[in-house]
Amino acid sequence: MIRIQNLHMRYRTDRGEVRAVRGISLEIKQGQFYTLLGPSGCGKTTTLRSVAGLETPQEGEISIGDDLVFSSYRGISIPPYKRDIGMVFQSYAIWPHMHVFDNVAFPLREMKRRFSRQEIREKVYQALSLVQLRGLEDRPAPFLSGGQQQRLALARALVKEPRVLLLDEPLSNLDAKLREETRFELRELVKRLGITTLYVTHDQLEALTMSDIVAVMDQGRIVQEAPPMEIYQSPRERFVANFIGLTNFLEGRVKKTGQPGEVETSSGALKCILPEGAAVGETVVIVIRPEDIELVSEPSRQDENILEGKVDAVIFMGDTLECQVAVGTKMMRIKLHPSSPVARGETVRLELPAERCRALKS
Amino acid sequence: MGVISRLHLWQHGLFLLVLFLVLAPLLFLILGSFSTARLPADFSLSTMGVANYLKVYSDPGTYELFANTVVYVAGSVALGTGLAVSLAWLVERTNMPGKIWVYAGVPMTLAVPGMLQAMAWVLLLSPRIGFINKMLKDLFGPQAPIIDIYSLGGMIFLEGLRLVPTAFLMLVPLMRSMDPTLEEAAAVSGAKPSSSMRKITLRLLAPGLVAVMIYQAMTALEVFEIPGVLGLPAGIYVFSTKIYAIVRSATFMPVYGQANALAMVYLVIAVVTTYLYTRMISRVERYTIITGKGYRPRQMELRKWRLPALGIVFLFLFFSIVLPFLVFLYTSFLPYLQSPSWQALQGMTLKNYRLLAEYGEVGSALTNTVIMVVVTASVTTLLSFLVSLVVVRSNFWGRKLLDQLAFVPHAIPGIVMGIAFFWVFLKLDFLPIYGTIWAISIGFTVNFLSYGTRSMNASLLQIHKELEEAAYVSGAPPWRTMWRIFFPLMLPTLSGIWIWVVLHAVRIAGMPLILYEGPQNQVLAILIWNMWDEGYVGGVAAIGTLLMIALLFLTLAVRYGGFRRHSVQLVGS
Repeated sequence: MIRIQNLHMRYRTDRGEVRAVRGISLEIKQGQFYTLLGPSGCGKTTTLRSVAGLETPQEGEISIGDDLVFSSYRGISIPPYKRDIGMVFQSYAIWPHMHVFDNVAFPLREMKRRFSRQEIREKVYQALSLVQLRGLEDRPAPFLSGGQQQRLALARALVKEPRVLLLDEPLSNLDAKLREETRFELRELVKRLGITTLYVTHDQLEALTMSDIVAVMDQGRIVQEAPPMEIYQSPRERFVANFIGLTNFLEGRVKKTGQPGEVETSSGALKCILPEGAAVGETVVIVIRPEDIELVSEPSRQDENILEGKVDAVIFMGDTLECQVAVGTKMMRIKLHPSSPVARGETVRLELPAERCRALKS
Repeated sequence: MGVISRLHLWQHGLFLLVLFLVLAPLLFLILGSFSTARLPADFSLSTMGVANYLKVYSDPGTYELFANTVVYVAGSVALGTGLAVSLAWLVERTNMPGKIWVYAGVPMTLAVPGMLQAMAWVLLLSPRIGFINKMLKDLFGPQAPIIDIYSLGGMIFLEGLRLVPTAFLMLVPLMRSMDPTLEEAAAVSGAKPSSSMRKITLRLLAPGLVAVMIYQAMTALEVFEIPGVLGLPAGIYVFSTKIYAIVRSATFMPVYGQANALAMVYLVIAVVTTYLYTRMISRVERYTIITGKGYRPRQMELRKWRLPALGIVFLFLFFSIVLPFLVFLYTSFLPYLQSPSWQALQGMTLKNYRLLAEYGEVGSALTNTVIMVVVTASVTTLLSFLVSLVVVRSNFWGRKLLDQLAFVPHAIPGIVMGIAFFWVFLKLDFLPIYGTIWAISIGFTVNFLSYGTRSMNASLLQIHKELEEAAYVSGAPPWRTMWRIFFPLMLPTLSGIWIWVVLHAVRIAGMPLILYEGPQNQVLAILIWNMWDEGYVGGVAAIGTLLMIALLFLTLAVRYGGFRRHSVQLVGS
């Protein structure tokens, strides 16, 4: 539904040139919920705004459905108001001089096709019901709460039933509790309407819980593109592992190839899944999530992938117990069940299951 | 975006226009101050010299002028600040009753033109004809102590009153935005209320207060009408009136170069004050502690002083607005000037109003004023809008310089601007501007440009770009977006600036008097000034009464009419 090919975007600022987007290509299928995830300044918003037509990239091609909306090679650049899109802005951009009804009716009144008053009213009411704002039509837009403004922005984006919905960090201005509720509502809604959605966020939880496909971006490039589960469980680069969730890193050299292979680290040899084409002697970094590490009681069943360390700190987090364990000079973080009997200063043995240890080329 | 880059041509044109409007008068002012030719039109580079400066600064009268100006400015600032601080403190930090009267009434005093207020007080306190002085004489005989308004004291009293509303409007948000937890923190740290007041409250207010005082000094220094009405007849000069007297002297051949030489010093003082003000303002912004929470500072219990406090407030409102209006209203119905009495009330007629209709110059002055004011307000609004659009929204190379250029007139007193444009129009005589109302219009436009661009900048910055982008992606082409989103959002600011300019252009007499040539460019303010000069008090009272009523309605319209500001900031990030 959305195709981006080899997109490049440079800005000239007071402090020189910024290369916001450096060769992005992606394809979003009909009805897919696709998320661009990355830290601020990674180019995710620029990419989204290029799809909307609010930025003019230097190079690349963008098509929405079968329409080529931008091509630097063929000199095509369809302005935003002629693209079949709906968009929700980070600030919501609710027009303060209009009532709720007029805000939602605006896109309909700007359409080539003339709607009758009756049709406009029906469509606006329908859009407002979708986001549960029925009954607030006559309220001046500034008199809405943050959550209501966000839903109004969504209704305005959906009212003309565009083929594509663009969402620019729509939840970042909501408070934590509301954000959690809205996450599920929003996904539910776009899935029900079957609308193709491009979503931009810096919040990993939003990306993981809402998306069909997550593309992690860094410095203007897509680093990894995969379904949420895969992104979390098998990050392909250190950046992805670090950006999403808590991660322990252990540097080492490949000792033995094969699956599982073996890596020599400063804390001892560890069995792990090696990256493809890894050679003996190559430096790698082992990635393991805190919740994948287990505490083993002595004497252990085996000696493989066991590290000994001293508990440095125990933090009660409610649903988990987070511990910092000093293994040699390395500080490891582990997540345990809250009832686990650990105390500060205690010596513990940690098991790092080989199938959960993933070595990445560094 | 593409739209902007195509507009580079008009950006350059705008830049050159503002550059010319601001720098040409300054250039001619400086050149003129060195010109020894009698008339600006005779100016040539061969007759340049420092003779004007020598003449002006060897005159002992000039040093008296300095002294007068210092006393007048310091006195009125002290009185104005004292009153404004008291009023702002009473409404924001105490439980005084009837606060709504202060919030509504104090800004209303802006509606009374300074010239009319001064004239009203002359009718009350002139040694010869003043109602109050006459009453004193009737009561205590010819040796009765009388109050002479034609004095430095009189000027300080009236200018002090006139400084209050603006200072009040600046001080109220300052006092309101003060986070009470700062004082509470001092209290729990062991400070007594008196020392927390001294060490925390006053310290936090200090930069804002100093900024307000400097601003008042700029206003007092610049104003012409009060020292013009009260000082000129008694030969007590301050800068603005002295320059006027040199140029418009009835007895001697005017010496334009000397006016310029004097204006240069006046200008330097004004520029330094403006510089201090902008420095101070940036300090204030650093001190401002915005928590975004809706809090009300703790209020002091006035107890038995509640009503006396309200009494003082009413006295201020009475002196500033009610009394001048009543004096004018009363005088306008008198066949000849007489103190209030039963007899006088019985002899009231509509003669003055009838005569106004017959007095030929009134009609043309009125037409001139309406045209001048409407053109000035429209051109100022449009020019400010275009300048701010370039400054805030474009990446034009000279946008910062353009912004500074537009601010420069803020430092130029109206009288100096008048002198400067006087030279421009006389020297560039291929432009048929001198002696027309367009001369006054251009002078005002440049003078008000700084105010216009400041409020326009602030307003444009508040309109988040995403509001327009949302319209683009909703399917609205640029011109539709302009018409349905941008324009409605800017309308309160545009109309606000327009009315502000109208309110100011209609009442200021200083600059128009310098550029006044004859009936063809006589505006209302000049007409009132001339009628007063000729002693036609009844006519002045009639015009003044009507003008005050009109301005009062206009001011009311600004505050309570349809110019409600949309809370744009709600959607800004």
